[in-house]
Amino acid sequence: MSADTKMLTITNLYAGYGKVQVLHGISIDVSKGKVVTLIGSNGAGKTTTMRAVSGMITPTAGEITLNGKRIEGMESYHIAKLGLAHSPEGRRVFATMTVTDNLTLGAFPRLTGSRPKGDVAGDLERALELFPRLKERRMQLAGTLSGGEQQMLAMARAVMLNPEVVLLDEPSMGLAPILVAEVFRIIERLKSEGVTMLLVEQFAAAALGVADYGYVLENGRISVHGPADKLRNDPSVKAAYLGGGTSH
Amino acid sequence: MKRSHHLLAVVGVIALLLFPLGVGNPYYIHLLETIMIYAILLFGLDIVVGYTGQVSLGHAGLFGVGAYTAGVLVIKLGAPLLVALIAAIGVTAVFGAILALPALRVTGPYLAMVTLAFGTIVQILINEMDWLTNGPMGIKLEKPSLLGHKLDEREFFWLVAVLLVLSLIVVHRVLRSHLGRAFEALRGSPVASDCMGVSVYRYKVYAFVISAGFAGLAGSLYAYSEQYISPNSYNFELTVLFLLAVIMGGRKSRIGSMVGATIIVLLPKLLDDIETFRYVSVALAVLVIATTVFGIQKGRVTAKQMAVPVVGSIALAGLSFWLHTMTDWRLSIFGVIMLFVVYYLQDGIVGFVRSAPNLAKPKPEAQVAGASLAGGDAVATSAASGSSEILKADGVLMQFGGLKALNNVSLSIKRGTIHGLIGPNGSGKSTMMNVLTGIYQPTAGSVSFSGRSVVGCTSSDIALSGIARTFQNVQLFGEMTALQNVQVGLHHTFDSNLLDVAVHTPRYRRESKAAVDRAMGLLQFVGLADLTFEEARNLPYGKQRLLEIARALALDPQLLLLDEPAAGLTAPDIKELISFIRKIRDHGITVILIEHHMDVVMSMCDTVSVLDFGQKIAEGAPAAVQADEKVIEAYLGGTAA
Repeated sequence: MSADTKMLTITNLYAGYGKVQVLHGISIDVSKGKVVTLIGSNGAGKTTTMRAVSGMITPTAGEITLNGKRIEGMESYHIAKLGLAHSPEGRRVFATMTVTDNLTLGAFPRLTGSRPKGDVAGDLERALELFPRLKERRMQLAGTLSGGEQQMLAMARAVMLNPEVVLLDEPSMGLAPILVAEVFRIIERLKSEGVTMLLVEQFAAAALGVADYGYVLENGRISVHGPADKLRNDPSVKAAYLGGGTSH
Repeated sequence: MKRSHHLLAVVGVIALLLFPLGVGNPYYIHLLETIMIYAILLFGLDIVVGYTGQVSLGHAGLFGVGAYTAGVLVIKLGAPLLVALIAAIGVTAVFGAILALPALRVTGPYLAMVTLAFGTIVQILINEMDWLTNGPMGIKLEKPSLLGHKLDEREFFWLVAVLLVLSLIVVHRVLRSHLGRAFEALRGSPVASDCMGVSVYRYKVYAFVISAGFAGLAGSLYAYSEQYISPNSYNFELTVLFLLAVIMGGRKSRIGSMVGATIIVLLPKLLDDIETFRYVSVALAVLVIATTVFGIQKGRVTAKQMAVPVVGSIALAGLSFWLHTMTDWRLSIFGVIMLFVVYYLQDGIVGFVRSAPNLAKPKPEAQVAGASLAGGDAVATSAASGSSEILKADGVLMQFGGLKALNNVSLSIKRGTIHGLIGPNGSGKSTMMNVLTGIYQPTAGSVSFSGRSVVGCTSSDIALSGIARTFQNVQLFGEMTALQNVQVGLHHTFDSNLLDVAVHTPRYRRESKAAVDRAMGLLQFVGLADLTFEEARNLPYGKQRLLEIARALALDPQLLLLDEPAAGLTAPDIKELISFIRKIRDHGITVILIEHHMDVVMSMCDTVSVLDFGQKIAEGAPAAVQADEKVIEAYLGGTAA
């Protein structure tokens, strides 16, 4: 993937919480228009990586580059203005605001940043087309949506940034099987529209199915990486991460 | 405590006791005495503010109640010292219980307003009740006698010092016991406290009562110390100062309380006189600059972060030389310093020192090392007594406004089985859990557990009767360690009361030791033994879920409700989860499992019930349910595993 434009580059990243060091020098490349997935067991550092990239925690060392600009250690809102959208673990929608307001807020960094503002109203309509269930509930308060609908809202809100890169952290967590399938269909759809994504998923097999490239995190270090189909057939990856999960 | 700490404490106490001998000036003796009295009150206030996380602006009022109880007893009845002190503690504790009542209904700014009103009412009552309190004239009293000997200024100082040390020991012991853990759990998650059998209602009142007892002791000592009390002393300003002292010193710390007391007593004095102020401000500037240089060298802070504190402290020093008199500026400067400390040292001074380089918080002592378990694991076996039906829900209706979250749902759970509960998001599974554990009272229908109805029981009663649970959105006590979280679950194993805790009776020591061993064993059972002393909020999500299970098992439940235990877990973690849920079942514990991972549900459950839109649409063996048309349409979809 060296010939592609690198959208997000993580180089030798160290990060953690207080005295607990979680990431020990990881490097990840995400090229434009590609979907890259991070696989690993609990506590390996997947969510920590996402948080360090979007500025929710400050890395202790290393570089993160978004579309050519260094972003490590910047405030989250600033990174968002540069075009990085984060759909966080556990959804975190604005519960007391309507679906439409949640989505419009997703575009807020476009209005205040230096990137092109674009057509927010048009994008809102497009996002609602992409997520028909949200369209039906556009005036409903986000807190009254079911878990699956909230997850879709979190993803749609991220897309409203017109982002250079979207971070999707556990989009299928806590969802009924029928909705898990739906979430993966939406990821496919976003991919076909050229959205660049970094994906963390409990269903590793399904994640590798939709991704172009994958990294395996073990105790805060990258142990294996390679094209997704190759990882999917790697016996050691299969044994450690793919067995037993729901497949699609 | 480590030996070096013990030594330091002994040296500190000796220095305190020698102070009046070395310093003859009664002004300084009285100043230190006031600091000690405030520290006693702050120990108590910290229980409420630091541990249970409630705001109290009523503590100046309680302080006043203590002072007036002692004062009135002395002038009206000529009560001796010990009677006055004990009566002050008792009466103020009763007022503390009254102050706790609003805390049971409101929190945050509302509670602040109500407690503020309490303080004001106390002040007004003292002022108006002429016949008892001498009204605005105040009460004059003399230094007390002890064992027939009238104490002088110096001897009274020693009395206060001894009571300070005793208070310190008692508070420290209480806060490190099951009582302290219960207080802290209230702050972490009230709903989880109740579901661990720790009644939020009871322990909030308990915290306020203990806290008020210390305020009463401090108040009565203050009356003797000042030898004059009047209603104006116990005003709003004092209550704010107390709160500031806890915040500035550092909450959840006894040293913090003492530092805070020192600041609120000494700082105004230091600002009295321009000469002293110049010394202090220059010393402060030097200290800030030295810390900054050191920090930058070590790479802990950046020059940018430290710019404001450095410039601010230099400006303050500059100001001190520019000013000619203090009188006009005193309050403004006091305010600015307060603002500065609260803004920059949000964890208080003790919190700041702990996080500073090379002064890391000491590791918890190794009193728990080598927890031995007599054979097998730490999970208690549930005796298979009574009928084969452990839980029966009949026609449960749960209505929120117009929405029927549960519509006429009946469940029958057989003892010793794993019963799956599945259904689309928002179908009412978690609502069912909340009905079973008493968080919601059903609109209609009945729920009986082991033959007894649980409708109308409180969550903590239901928990103690043998139903434990985990939560879909993890409800751990975040600031507490993994070990302490499990220990909260073991709260029911303690019979020790406040007195047992204060004097460390054999009963308390035995129960405490047993609880630590059990907790270690349970952590080992769920595979978290190496994270025993990690704060729960620092654990990764999946490990937090395991910790919740360990905590629930600590209740020695007959029935365990697991709400999406596999959410966010990867395939290998799920395999482990399956194996230990089976182990739990093998101990005779009945399990109700809500889960979206079909491989988990299908491989483990004996029976599965399916909910959709608040109604049960299918029930039976896993394979049959999986093949059911309605279930496939509503829940599984075409591509299920």
